[in-house]
Amino acid sequence: MIEAIKLTKVFSKFTAVKDLSFQVQPGEIYALLGPNGSGKSTTMRMLLGLLRPTLGTARIMEYNITSNPEDAKRVMGYVPEEPVLPERLTGYEFINYTADIWRIPRGEKREKEITELLTLLDIEDASNDLIEVYSKGMSRKISLAAALIHRPRVIILDEVQAGIDPRGAATIKEIMTGLASQGATILMSTHVLEIAEQMCDRIGIINEGQMIAEGTMDELRAQARGQSSLEEIFLTLTGGPDMQRIADYLGEVT
Amino acid sequence: MLPVIGAILVGALIYTVVVSIVPIFWADLVLFLRADLGIAATIFNAILLFGFAGSIMFSATTVGNSARMEYLLVMPMRMRIIFLEKTIVIILYNCVLWMVIGFPILLGLGTISTYPLALLAAPIFLVLVFMLVTMGVSIGGLVGLLFSRLLAGRRTLKQIGYFILSTLAIVVSVFWYYSFYFSDNGTVFFDAIFRIADMVGLSSHLSPGYTVSAISIGLVVGAPFGIPDIVAAILFLIIGISLVYANSYVCEIAHYSGWLASGSQRTSKSEFRINHTSWNPRTYLPFTFNTTTSTSIWYNIASIRREGRVIAQYLVGPIRWVIWIVLPGLYMADQMAAFTPYLFVAALIPFATSYGLSFAGYELVYEGKNLMNLQLASANLVDYVKGKVLSATPFVLGASSVVSIMILILYTSMWPLLPAVILGCVFANLVAGSVAANAAAMGGDFRAERKITRQRGAAVQMPIRGWSMLRATLMPNIVAYVGVFSILGVGALNPLYAYVALSAFALICYRLFLSYSRSAGRRLSQIEASEYL
Repeated sequence: MIEAIKLTKVFSKFTAVKDLSFQVQPGEIYALLGPNGSGKSTTMRMLLGLLRPTLGTARIMEYNITSNPEDAKRVMGYVPEEPVLPERLTGYEFINYTADIWRIPRGEKREKEITELLTLLDIEDASNDLIEVYSKGMSRKISLAAALIHRPRVIILDEVQAGIDPRGAATIKEIMTGLASQGATILMSTHVLEIAEQMCDRIGIINEGQMIAEGTMDELRAQARGQSSLEEIFLTLTGGPDMQRIADYLGEVT
Repeated sequence: MLPVIGAILVGALIYTVVVSIVPIFWADLVLFLRADLGIAATIFNAILLFGFAGSIMFSATTVGNSARMEYLLVMPMRMRIIFLEKTIVIILYNCVLWMVIGFPILLGLGTISTYPLALLAAPIFLVLVFMLVTMGVSIGGLVGLLFSRLLAGRRTLKQIGYFILSTLAIVVSVFWYYSFYFSDNGTVFFDAIFRIADMVGLSSHLSPGYTVSAISIGLVVGAPFGIPDIVAAILFLIIGISLVYANSYVCEIAHYSGWLASGSQRTSKSEFRINHTSWNPRTYLPFTFNTTTSTSIWYNIASIRREGRVIAQYLVGPIRWVIWIVLPGLYMADQMAAFTPYLFVAALIPFATSYGLSFAGYELVYEGKNLMNLQLASANLVDYVKGKVLSATPFVLGASSVVSIMILILYTSMWPLLPAVILGCVFANLVAGSVAANAAAMGGDFRAERKITRQRGAAVQMPIRGWSMLRATLMPNIVAYVGVFSILGVGALNPLYAYVALSAFALICYRLFLSYSRSAGRRLSQIEASEYL
C-alpha cells in the first residue's frame, strides 16, 4: 500500500506540493495526473524517499519512508521519467549490477529471471551493446527491467510509456495489469490520458501541488459535472486552453 | 560569485606583496630583466603547453557528446558557432589561473616602475595570455580530432589510442616542467627533446612565449622590444584566432560526418555493430568482500576502463606532481645522492593519494544520477564507498611495486624496508580514497558529467568544489608523507622497527578509512535527489 498523508514540499520560497493526501491499495493501479509542473514528480520522489517532505508523512506498506527508508525502499521499484543508466555498461551488465545492488543471490535462477525480462521487453538482442547507444525507448525498457528485477510489491512509474513503441507499450500495460492482479500496488504518472483511463482503477488529478479531484472514472465524471472522457474531465478541472489567445495568435499568423 | 571574490582577493594579495617587497630590489631586478627579455619565455610557452595538454581530447569529446546539446544544434545558426562557443568557454577557464596570478604581478611591477608605458603591461598581458591559451587549446582540439578521425570505427584501438595520446600529452608536459630547471643548460638529459623544441620554435625567439615575455616585461622595465616582437605578437594572435576558428570548423565537419557520435562504431562511410562481451569479474584481491563492496569495485573499474583518456589521466596524471619532487633531487644530483631512494619513495606517495582521489573521490561524483538507483535499492552506501576506495588498491600495489623494484636495483641494501613502503602506500591510499569520498559527498558537483568543464577527463575544473577539494588533497598527502617517512626513519635504525611503525600506521589508516567511509556513506544516503537529478 502507498499512503501519502498531508505531504508538503517547499523548495526555498516555492511550494511544489501542498497538503497532498491519497492512498493506493494493494492490487490497485492508481494514476497521478496533472499539468506540467503540477508536482507529480516531486510527490513521487517524496514517496520514494529521494526527497524529504517538508511536512506530512509518506508510508510504503507499513513503513514510514522518512523514519524507516531501508525497509520501505526494499519493497519498491521505480522507473523514472528520465532513465538513470550508466552509459559505460552494457544493458546486461546494468541489470546484473542492479541485481547485485539489490542483493539478489547470483545463480541460475537470477540469470533466468534476467533473460526472461530482457526477452519479454524485446531488448535481449541489444543487451550486449553499451547503454550509450540505446534509444530513449530502449533505455526506458532496460530501466523497467532493472526496476522489476527484485519483484517489488510497490511499483512507481513516471511516464513509463513515453517514447516506447506500441508493441512495447502494450507489453508494459499487460505486465502492470498482471502484477496488480497478483497484489502489487502500482502508482503511475502519465500525460497519455487514454492509458490512465484504460489501465487505472483510480485517478488523482493534481494542480499547483494540490489534489483537486480523485476517484474512479465514474466518480470523476460526477465531479466534473457529467463530462464523459478523461480528457474533458481533466481540462474542466485544470483549465482548458486559452481559446482567445489561440485565436489571437492564429489571427496574427494568418 | 564566491570564486570571483576569491580571485579578486588573491589578486589583491599578490599585488600588495609585489608593491611591498619588490621596491627593495627594484634596481637590480630591472638590470636583470633588461639583460634578457625572454627570461620568462619558458613559463609562457608552458602556459601554451598546459592549454594543449589539458584540451587534447576536448573537441573530439564535445562533438562526440553533441547529442546532449541537440537543443542548441537545431537553432538557426551555423553549427561551428556553437562549437566555437564551447571552445571559448574552455579557453577562458584555462586563462583564469594565469590571469589571476599574472595580472596583479604585472600591475604591481607597472605601479613600481617609473617607465612611462609600464602600466600598459598588465592589460596587454591579459590579451597575450588569451592568445597563448587559444593557441594551445585549439591545437590540442585539432590534434584530438585528427587522431579520432584516424581511429574512427576502431573502438578498441580508439580506447588504446586515447590512452596513449593522453599519456603522451602528460609526459610531454612533464618534460616541459623539467626544462624549468634546466632553462640555461638543460640539454644534459633531454638533448633530443630540446632539439625538437628548437626546431618547432618553442624555445627560440620566435616562440609565442618569448613574444609575451619580451612585450610584457619590456614594458615594465622600459626595455626596447623591437618591431619584430610586435609583429610576432599580432601574427600569433591572428594564428590563434584562425586556429580556434579552424577547430570549430573541423568540429562541424566531424559532427555532420557522424564518425564521432557518442558510442559510435561508425566511420563516415559505413556502420558496423560491435557486441560487447560482458566483463564481470568479482575477485581482484585474495580477500572476500560483501556483495555491495565487490559490486562497487567492479562497477568503478568497468566504468573507468572504458574511457581510455580518463584512465590515462588517473594513472599518469600524478606524474605532474611527482616531477616537482624528483627534479630538485636530479638538479642537485651530486649532493643528494644519498637521498635518492627516499626521493623515489617521496615521488611514489602522490600516486598512492592521487589514485585514491580519482577512483574514490571523482568517481563518486561521477555516479551522478546513479545515486538514485543506489538510494532506492537501499544499498549500504558505506560499503559502496569502501568498494570505490578499494578499487584503487590494485593500481597502488602495482605502482609501488614497480618503484620498489627500481629502488631495489639501485640500492639493494634497502630491500628489508621495501615491503613496508609498499604496504604503507597501500594503507595511505585507503585514507586518501576515503577522505576524498567524504569530501566528494560534502562538496561534489553531482551534475558534473553534464557540464563540459567538469566531465570525466576535463582538465579545467575539478568535480569536487571549493574547500572540499582542498580537504580531499591536503590531508591524505600529509598523512602519507608523515606515515611512510616515519616507517623509513625508524627503519633506518633497525628494519624491524619499520614493521612495528608500519603496524601502527596501518592501524591508524584503517581506522581513518572506516571512519571517513562511514561518514561519506551516510552523507550520500541522505543527499536529496535535487542535488543530482
